[in-house]
Amino acid sequence: MVKKRDKQSDADLVREIKRGDARAMEEIVKRYSNKVYNLAYHLTRDSAAAEEIMQDVFLTVISKIGTLTNEEYFSTWLYRVTTNAAYGFLRKEKKFSEQTPVENIDQEVQPSYDWSDLPDDVLLSEESKEVLRKSIDALPEAMRTVVIMKDMEGLKNEEIAEALGMSVPAVKSRLHRGRLILRDLLAGYFRKKYTNHSGDDE
Amino acid sequence: MNCKICSTLFQEFLEKSLCEELIAEMDDHMQACRKCRTSLRTYKLTIMLSQQADPPCCVRPETVDRLKKILLQRFFAKEDVKIKV
Repeated sequence: MVKKRDKQSDADLVREIKRGDARAMEEIVKRYSNKVYNLAYHLTRDSAAAEEIMQDVFLTVISKIGTLTNEEYFSTWLYRVTTNAAYGFLRKEKKFSEQTPVENIDQEVQPSYDWSDLPDDVLLSEESKEVLRKSIDALPEAMRTVVIMKDMEGLKNEEIAEALGMSVPAVKSRLHRGRLILRDLLAGYFRKKYTNHSGDDE
Repeated sequence: MNCKICSTLFQEFLEKSLCEELIAEMDDHMQACRKCRTSLRTYKLTIMLSQQADPPCCVRPETVDRLKKILLQRFFAKEDVKIKV
């Protein structure tokens, strides 16, 4: 009996696409268009670019699916194609840069201000979220991509490593350092906003 | 366990990928160290805020429909150059 499309695994669908089944391709688009769009949007912060990237990514799926030898790795491969396309866009727009060498950032950034007891309506205010979005965008590219893929898109460390062509420990290290920088930037913001000190008294 | 090691292990601690001995050491350390307790709390909150900072957006349905049409055209155009398995 033929399985319903939505019950089929990605790997089965990919095998069917390779055999020329257009309906399998439609199911893959249904499953992944939002994921690809979100990742592209968060990396570029440009909705028009994200749509264009999404289209290019799926066109690449059609033209290059034959090069994917292990169908089980389809989603990882798709994320790699998406990040490469987003990097391509950022390079073209000259927004891609390795501002700070990752190794130069202190692993043990201690929080300068305890903002953990602030009420939820403060922590989750639109203004706090905007500060965080801007802080993420200001991270060195190597950390920014990993933080977006892990904490915003919810990908696994292994998927990120595979998609970015790096080791899992390298992903974890960039993620940890990126989070420490974000935490410090948030501490600075909350301190300035909710206390009267200038920051030199701790 | 000292503060530096404790801080380095936050990620694994939250992902529950540490062995029991290290978890116990971290728990002991954090019970005695307010700085590390605060540090872990703000680390967790930073992750939570990142998760909520930009809610997932949806592609416009008409964009997906247009994409499907383009893909189907391209897909059938490729049929004569059938993808090698």
